[in-house]
Amino acid sequence: MRRLSGRFRSALVIGLQGIRARKLRTLLSMVSLFLGVLAVVVVQAGASIAERALLANVELTNGIDGTKNLYVPPEPGAASAVLDTVEGRPDATAMIVLPAIIGEPGVRPVNEGAAPFDENWGSSGEICFPDGTCQPNPEPTGQAVEVRLTALTGDVRAFRPYRPYRPRHGQWLDFTTMPAMAPRLVLNLEAAKGFERYRVPAEMRVRGAIAHITPQFVGVIDDGDIQPRAYVRMDELVTWLPVNTLTDPGTGGELQVLMTGSTPVEQVLTSRLTGLGLQVGVQTVDSLERQEDELALIRLVFLAMAGLVLLIGVAGILNVGLATVGERIEEFALRRAVGTPRSLLAGIVLAETLLTGLLTAAAAIGVSVGGLKLVSMMLGDAEPFLQNMQYPWDAGLAGIVAGLIAGILGGFVPALRAARIPIASVMRA
Amino acid sequence: MTVLIDLTGITKVLKGQEQDRTILSGVDLTVRAGESVAIVGRSGSGKSTLLSILGLFDRPDEGSYLLAGQDISRLPERRAAKLRSSHFGFVFQRFFLLKHLTAAQNVAMALVNGQGWLPRRERRARVLEALDQVGIAHLAKNRPARMSGGEQQRVAIARALVRRPVVLLADEPTGALDTETGTAVIEALLAATTRGCGLVLVTHDRDHAARMDRTLDLVDGVLTERVRA
Repeated sequence: MRRLSGRFRSALVIGLQGIRARKLRTLLSMVSLFLGVLAVVVVQAGASIAERALLANVELTNGIDGTKNLYVPPEPGAASAVLDTVEGRPDATAMIVLPAIIGEPGVRPVNEGAAPFDENWGSSGEICFPDGTCQPNPEPTGQAVEVRLTALTGDVRAFRPYRPYRPRHGQWLDFTTMPAMAPRLVLNLEAAKGFERYRVPAEMRVRGAIAHITPQFVGVIDDGDIQPRAYVRMDELVTWLPVNTLTDPGTGGELQVLMTGSTPVEQVLTSRLTGLGLQVGVQTVDSLERQEDELALIRLVFLAMAGLVLLIGVAGILNVGLATVGERIEEFALRRAVGTPRSLLAGIVLAETLLTGLLTAAAAIGVSVGGLKLVSMMLGDAEPFLQNMQYPWDAGLAGIVAGLIAGILGGFVPALRAARIPIASVMRA
Repeated sequence: MTVLIDLTGITKVLKGQEQDRTILSGVDLTVRAGESVAIVGRSGSGKSTLLSILGLFDRPDEGSYLLAGQDISRLPERRAAKLRSSHFGFVFQRFFLLKHLTAAQNVAMALVNGQGWLPRRERRARVLEALDQVGIAHLAKNRPARMSGGEQQRVAIARALVRRPVVLLADEPTGALDTETGTAVIEALLAATTRGCGLVLVTHDRDHAARMDRTLDLVDGVLTERVRA
């Protein structure tokens, strides 16, 4: 062990001396290897960033991996059971979705059925009742916008990481303050587009409400939904909408509870709802697992391409390494003469190429970190997922591994040559 | 005096394309502690081959080689490298100093050879001691390009001495130097023998050979002792 340590240190000391003595050659080796290592780093970083971007989009609609979604049928009594159970709990948030029309009273909204504003979902112009009978909607089309009103018992971002859209123009719902009489709404991008396009009065109609509500818009977020949606605090909504009407089948409401994986809420809620004669379904979000195969294939293809570029870099190191050993025949013969074992001579050459590989990896990682910061600064406004993007350090690790592998592959043959130099080279000189 | 080197019947044959050529033929040689031996002979007489065998760079085809009583005629390379490090110091006609290293670093090269590891402080002390023995401790930080030929050869001698060898092997160490500088180098080598180190000097210079305890002639692979008047 001690002998190994001595040889390792000797190889490192002599290798560093060799690099310092041949700075230009080291630089040339680094240049030839740089693109290869950079390619590996960029592919790995790109794959990680793409994975995050893809996952971020999925998380917006499905929720963070591991989140449990409990779907409750909209039946009388379900809402109060859910709200009683999750109230004040940080590990679960109830979400009730209702249709709401904001704008002129007594008119049909411009996007009936909360359709996206640039799409025509073919409104029938009829009102249908739970018993299946329909009759023509007597209301004329007017300046009103229909949204999917989403009432929340707590900060849903713990489960769905909504990205603030232009946060300078607004804020997310604050659950720490007293509930306001005029419910505060946070719009999604599609709803914000609708209210930018149509100037409507601030009057909100929700079926079952005791009066028309005057809402106030406090922010805009990107929730990935193509339908216009408005988020509201549950306690502010229930001031105007009795709890027992929230899940009235006549209101068309949807009830869902988002929970962390290990909360006792699931068991309590399931028992209570089953007691009410309701059947609940639970789904756990596993987006990452479902996308892993697809991402792995993409990563593999790009890594294969990066590997080819790396091989060219290895050939460069090999070329410079062989030339350097050829120039240092006397030095290596002399080192053997003073008792340096062959294995250490090989170790010296390998140490030099490994250090060169590591230096190159450090340079490539530095460039990619700088590049990502630059891209984040320049394109961050257009692509929100690039904002505050952290450098994926697995890409850095891949760069170091690539540098080490290139160092070993490029230094192996020169190392063997160095070890075979006869001592007689110094005697006959 | 203790016998350091004892060669008996050493023969070395170079394989040729048409016929083999005998370089050394039954060479007998004994070197004792503190003794200096000069080997003289014409070019191609086998002096360097003999030195290669003495320094374990090469193996004899026949004969035995005892180092301090231990037979080392057929050593594997790994053990030979260890013995070269622990028992021998080498000085060559060309100095073989690494130009990118200082004098001290060139001397330290013999200590950083994978045969054990000395702490930096001890290494520095040994290097300065070796440079001091050859009288150039003040040049420790100079690079070879800034030193004269004589100074460079002294650095090479310091490199040979730094591991405190049992035997010093010098292959025409004054060949590239003027007479005065060459004499100074020989004195530096002889100084090592006063500390009990054996010295084998291969030289063409009769004057330098005369300063050794014994002079041996190598003629056509046969070693004979010259009788001094």
